[in-house]
Amino acid sequence: MSDSLDAYLILSGLLFAIGSFGFLARRNAISMLMSIELMLNGVNLAIVAFGAFIPELGAQGSVIALMVIAVAAAEATVGLAIVIAIFRNKKTPLVDEYDAMRQ
Amino acid sequence: MARRLVPIILALAVIGAVIGIAAIMLVVLGQDWEDALFWILAAVMLGAGLLVVTMRDIIRCGLAMMVCFGALAGIYVVLGAPLIAAAQVIVYIGAISVLILFAIMLTQTKDAPSRLVFQTQAVPAAISAVVIAVVIALSIGATDWAEVPERIRLATDALSQVLFNDFVLPFEIVSVILLAAVVGGVFLAKREPGGPS
Repeated sequence: MSDSLDAYLILSGLLFAIGSFGFLARRNAISMLMSIELMLNGVNLAIVAFGAFIPELGAQGSVIALMVIAVAAAEATVGLAIVIAIFRNKKTPLVDEYDAMRQ
Repeated sequence: MARRLVPIILALAVIGAVIGIAAIMLVVLGQDWEDALFWILAAVMLGAGLLVVTMRDIIRCGLAMMVCFGALAGIYVVLGAPLIAAAQVIVYIGAISVLILFAIMLTQTKDAPSRLVFQTQAVPAAISAVVIAVVIALSIGATDWAEVPERIRLATDALSQVLFNDFVLPFEIVSVILLAAVVGGVFLAKREPGGPS
């Protein structure tokens, strides 16, 4: 089972689905960012699995996965800084109370 | 004293259960060592991922996320990509998780572990997540990927050859992106003098 590409792809799809549920359903902004990290990890697992099972890709799958990890780190930095900046103004981490642009 | 021992006993029980399942899969079911490892790591990863999106206490969500990333690093090792696993441990468990835990501690008010963890759209979100999973699984099953039946174990020197020859420009661009993100993060999270405290 650990030698089939389908198993890894289905695993990554499940992780992506869990992350998308968390992103849509949680109220806390940091929970939503954690769910985004889960989705990025699911996609990364799919990329590495393709690189490990398709010989035409060679080492490119792993290289792209490293790039994704670096960009995810940048995304986490900026996203958490934005959440902290909003929290300083609104005094709440719950996204359904961020309604300044609705009024 | 007894209350303090409960989490330790729980952790030992979980570890014992995992080792027991591994032993059963290896001895009774006669599965390959790597298959047993794959199943256990996949189960730990998905379980921890579900805990991340459903638990009430957000600090525990962050800790479950670290468990999820650790299991995913193990899956990378099983998959034959040890350098990616090392990067996963260093970047995700070492850096991003700590960053998220600090942000959690900075943004929690006293009433923040509030009555409602989920928005009102939680049920449609769950339905859409199940639909996404089913669609992805069906499309994976229906596609022929032209794969080889054996994993290609990638040597780190081959990877670095590709990384620093063919991909050297993206590598440099990523470093510039990281620098810009660090400067932007410091600027956004910095407290302005005279602004709201």
